Amino acid sequence: MNIVVTVKQVPDPNTPANLLAIDAAARRVVPPAGIPPVMNGYDANALEEAVRLKEQRGAKVIAVSVGDDGARDALRRSIALGASEAVHVEDAADLDSSSTAEVLAAAIGNIGPFDLILCGRQASDTDGGQALFGLAELLGLPAVSPIKKIVGIEDGALVVERITEDGTQQVRVELPALLGVSSEVNQPRYPAMKGVLIAKRAQIPTWTRADLGLAAAERRVEVRRLYVETREARTELIAGDSPAAIGTHLADRLRETGII
Amino acid sequence: MGTVLVFGDAPRGKLGPGSFEVAAAGRALAEALGARLVGGLVGRDVGAAAEAFLAAGMVELYVADGARYEPCTGAEYAAAGDAILEACGPTVALFPHTLDTREWAARLAARRRTGLVTDCVRVIVDQGQVVMTKPVYGGSVTAEYVVRGTPQLATMRAGAAEPATPGAVGHVVPIDVGPVASRVRVLQETTESGPAGPRLKDARVVVAGGLGVGGAEHWHLVEEAAAALGGAVGASRAVTDLGWVTSAHQVGLTGTTVAPDLYVAIGISGAVQHVAGITRAKTIVAINKDPDANIVRMATFGAIGDARAIVPAFVERVKQLRG
Repeated sequence: MNIVVTVKQVPDPNTPANLLAIDAAARRVVPPAGIPPVMNGYDANALEEAVRLKEQRGAKVIAVSVGDDGARDALRRSIALGASEAVHVEDAADLDSSSTAEVLAAAIGNIGPFDLILCGRQASDTDGGQALFGLAELLGLPAVSPIKKIVGIEDGALVVERITEDGTQQVRVELPALLGVSSEVNQPRYPAMKGVLIAKRAQIPTWTRADLGLAAAERRVEVRRLYVETREARTELIAGDSPAAIGTHLADRLRETGII
Repeated sequence: MGTVLVFGDAPRGKLGPGSFEVAAAGRALAEALGARLVGGLVGRDVGAAAEAFLAAGMVELYVADGARYEPCTGAEYAAAGDAILEACGPTVALFPHTLDTREWAARLAARRRTGLVTDCVRVIVDQGQVVMTKPVYGGSVTAEYVVRGTPQLATMRAGAAEPATPGAVGHVVPIDVGPVASRVRVLQETTESGPAGPRLKDARVVVAGGLGVGGAEHWHLVEEAAAALGGAVGASRAVTDLGWVTSAHQVGLTGTTVAPDLYVAIGISGAVQHVAGITRAKTIVAINKDPDANIVRMATFGAIGDARAIVPAFVERVKQLRG
């Protein structure tokens, strides 16, 4: 079984908001120098699930990432965590979702036959959650996302549990297919020393758009402006001699202003 | 004269509240662009839903109705959506943001080689451009986007706009869609019953608690305040992670986005992630022992002190006032 996992390097989602700078001219968010980027959390879940399938059933796991040199860190980590191979596709780190889907589709076409593509359900930078579906559409694949469990594999199909707005679906999807993985699916492992050593020596090829026969990216979504929204509020503090008096006064004030 | 298309959302034949919000946003766009407003609806047995949706002020409503649309699969909905785009040739198409629309809107974008912005909190016309706004980086930053391509696609988060008021009523245009080979089959579906009381997503009053409530044994304070105000119970991620309440109550970017008239935050510091879920609350009350907490700074009213002493007196007085 050949499994492709798409991974993306993102600014650490635990970066405090006040440390994110905005480069207004370039229309990009600049994370602080001291906090290194990380592999997108849901992508780590997708990779972990692929590696578990590899361990349980035997599979080749190929990690793919589109981006600048930073993407290579995510790929090296993927190998350390158990991916068999990794491919870096060189492009802008802040490509829009449609362009990312196109580049991934071309790269996966170049990798060769596959049975399954595992993606994170969305990436924590913009939480767009659409590149995976664009990729499925371009490759003519069925997609199921977000999934919280792979229940089983049988007769060229997967049975998975999908999260819905108000519950869960059990879904059967024919292979080859693409799955968007949610964090409920597993708890990603930490890299073992052996994996780290393998990753250090691993050859990770870099493909360019030209290698994939692609022209320059045509962005279909452009950032117009980035800003930090400040909510104008002149907070009225409720007075009172004791916490209980403050509680009573708060209710009175809400009544006076017609709110309750 | 262009066309603005608004898709409704009707799981199990019932029109979702997000449909009217998207219709209102679409109507404002159509007015600003001098375009006509049309609707689209895909589902099974959606006759009644279509009638209700038409009242949102559209000249035509394109409807693809059939057993094949329940439950939703990406292939079927993308094909139906594509047929509707073909029929009305819009310059802009909006969708309510759900786990389902996210798939088929993205598939339409890929099919039509155009751009899509998901989970928008605002879609407006500014300087002649359709501008789509959404929080990014966990809500720390707000991004404005423009789409290059036709149609310009956006999904809109629940609570992003006031629902549409009734407008001119047009007529339904049935859409036939050719057969689609779907390789996805839903074997079974379970719905988890949500929390008791009003639904968090549409509640007019939400009372939410955080770590400052002081422990699971004090959580009843939040529930009592919600009951006294006739509101829904919400929670910060910290307390749902601790299991004081189920994650169905979580308010914030990764939980439920709410847009109540009154949001009472008890012992919630106001992390970016949480605040991103309440930006459309009209009045925010912060009950918190820290006067410098982020939530206090953005609140309309601040009650500073120990929640365990303030809340019982507040509840008592609210009960008297609301008699």
